[in-house]
Amino acid sequence: MSSIRFQSVHKILGDRQVLQDLSLEVGPGERVAILGPSGCGKTTLLRLAAGLIAPDQGRIEINGIPVAEDGRNLIEPEDRQVGMVFQDLALWPHLTVSGNLAFGLKVKGTPKQERLSRIHEMLQLVHMESRAHARPAQLSGGEQQRVALARALVLQPKILVMDEPLSSLDEDLRAELRSEILKWHREIGFTLLYVTHDRGEASTMGQRILTMKNGSIQ
Amino acid sequence: MTKRIVLSLAVGFLFLAGLLPLLLLLIQSVSEEGRLTFDAYRDLLFTKNQWILLGRSLVLAGLCALVSTVTGTTLGLILGKTDLPWRRTFTVLYALPLFVPPYIMAVSWFHILGREGLVRGLLGPTVAAVTSDWLLGLPGCVWILSSIFSPLVMLLTLAFIRGIPPRLEEAGRIVASWTGVLRHVTIPMILPAVMLSALLVFILTLGEFGVPHFLRYHVFPVEFFTQFAAFYDFRAATVMAMPLIGLTLMALAFERLCLRKKTYIIQSIGHGQRRLVIPLNRSRRVGILILVGTLSFMWTVLPLLTLLFESLSSSAYPRAWTLAGHSLMRSLVYSAIAATVLTMLGLLTGYLVHDRSFRFWMFLDSIILFLFALPGSVLGIGLILLWNRPVTQAVYASPMILLLGLVAKYAALTHRISVSTLEQIPASMEEAACMAGARWLRRFRQILIPLARPGLIVAWLTAFIFCMRDTELAMLVYPPGCDTLPVRTFTLMANGSSDLIAALCMIMVLGTLIPLGLLSLAMKGCWGGHVEYPISIRP
Repeated sequence: MSSIRFQSVHKILGDRQVLQDLSLEVGPGERVAILGPSGCGKTTLLRLAAGLIAPDQGRIEINGIPVAEDGRNLIEPEDRQVGMVFQDLALWPHLTVSGNLAFGLKVKGTPKQERLSRIHEMLQLVHMESRAHARPAQLSGGEQQRVALARALVLQPKILVMDEPLSSLDEDLRAELRSEILKWHREIGFTLLYVTHDRGEASTMGQRILTMKNGSIQ
Repeated sequence: MTKRIVLSLAVGFLFLAGLLPLLLLLIQSVSEEGRLTFDAYRDLLFTKNQWILLGRSLVLAGLCALVSTVTGTTLGLILGKTDLPWRRTFTVLYALPLFVPPYIMAVSWFHILGREGLVRGLLGPTVAAVTSDWLLGLPGCVWILSSIFSPLVMLLTLAFIRGIPPRLEEAGRIVASWTGVLRHVTIPMILPAVMLSALLVFILTLGEFGVPHFLRYHVFPVEFFTQFAAFYDFRAATVMAMPLIGLTLMALAFERLCLRKKTYIIQSIGHGQRRLVIPLNRSRRVGILILVGTLSFMWTVLPLLTLLFESLSSSAYPRAWTLAGHSLMRSLVYSAIAATVLTMLGLLTGYLVHDRSFRFWMFLDSIILFLFALPGSVLGIGLILLWNRPVTQAVYASPMILLLGLVAKYAALTHRISVSTLEQIPASMEEAACMAGARWLRRFRQILIPLARPGLIVAWLTAFIFCMRDTELAMLVYPPGCDTLPVRTFTLMANGSSDLIAALCMIMVLGTLIPLGLLSLAMKGCWGGHVEYPISIRP
């Protein structure tokens, strides 16, 4: 489990100031839900944490180590041990479910036996072991959601950022997956930054709820 | 770091293949025995004949752009928006002339309208004399070049029509008739594409050499080629290249300043969404079918059938094979190698532009388009200038020089296809791989290339077809004993019998049609070419 800290972060995208003087600290293992209207900078905040973009000004630290500062990434996303579940899930359509999970493990040089057992374990955790050889297009919305979570979790990230991951699902499935994510959080233990625009979801998922407006936390 | 190195190498290769030859050409045009001189330019500027030729070229390019735009847009709208039967067949028929060397169409029309042509047999020598005079001049050039370049406008129009979200037209249909929707929604949305294709036709006609040369219509590129090939006047040729370079640059500057911001990105509509088609009533359907059918017969079927019948003598094909079999094999091999290099290069430069990896991405994009628009003969002279040196004979005297030229000239095709393909892949695909710890090269190899595979197949086949049909560039730079089929056919035309020439042209057409068939299969999604994203994610 890791902590993450944003210090006076500014970010401009195109000609729009998306984040202004944003400061935030999330403790190890803490679950923080970020709530706010569209365009308020929630996704940008997550992308900064993941390292997909760098802050124009300000500093981001993970476990007290600076990872980005004043316009550049000091540690690239692939080396930050941050997992991300994208809003569109971003499952690779040309790979099977187990292929999606195996990719990151192969990149990290995990031996084959260990890789297979971790994939099996993770698929069991998300109740997807029977669909290991299916392609993403053959899965239902809820199944795709589980695979996306499993893909992020199989790499044992210290921090997990989730960008409205349940927004495309119906209410029953959302409720089921919310409780499962909380269960996995208890079992695996990771720091969670959870973006949503649903107040009810925010109160379920976050131990702390932060509201963003016009690029800063209210 | 790896990303910057790989992309820099791609840019460097393009610079070496395309830009450096042109820079040398520019230097050569203003230097004589090591000193700066503008004498050749003065000669060019104060020679009345040059201005006449330039004027003729501009008139020809303008008329072809006008006819092609009107015809191509109308055909695109009919074939893309109505429920006319056999739309796919008509699209393929109209597209065919674009994919064969232009002079082949001129040869076949000569067999139809020439003094000894089909018309003479049907309507007598007096009418044939009139049609022959008409063919060997501006009207003939406009007619043939329009039949070749209209498909370009038609295909671009079709591509953009298919990218219009159906809901926009549905919103229009609630308040207006189909005529109103076409006028106020569909046509304004495709207008930038139509203007862009008109500009492309203008530039391509401006540099066209084969058809005017065959029809003995003296225009600037013909004079430019004659100066080099017949008189071997290198300086005159380099100076004469400058107006063509200048006009191409002006047209591209216009595109960049006026059209680029208005040109929407081609995106296929989401799966499950059906394009809206205009239902034609019976009388309109018959009327339009007759018009479209007649024009496709005139522009494609008649010329190709004429060539086929002309070539059907017992000895034509065996002789053609003896004389040009090796050239055909060389064409296939060179085109395959060039297409492979072009596909890889196009993917890298396409990624660079899509990702805005370097600050000069827009400049690179323009340069690639400029090299495509530039007459092949101008690029050819630049390549000779660069590589015809004692230390670089390994390149100059081998097919390498031709491959370099083909890569520089046709990079725009694979580049633009790659950009369009990459635009369709959500950024989150690569980002997810990045979050999984993959470095750029692995992300590129294992995520982007498999996802871009359908586009890459189309890019390879398109590049292959254009390399197969290339005449102007190959004619100048082919090494001794290594000519390609279009070059061999073109040179044999001077003293070969008509059945032999027709047979050679038919072999050339078939050499292009087979890959074209494969291209249409690839575009229909064969070979697993269709990638389905798990949920609706296109913007």
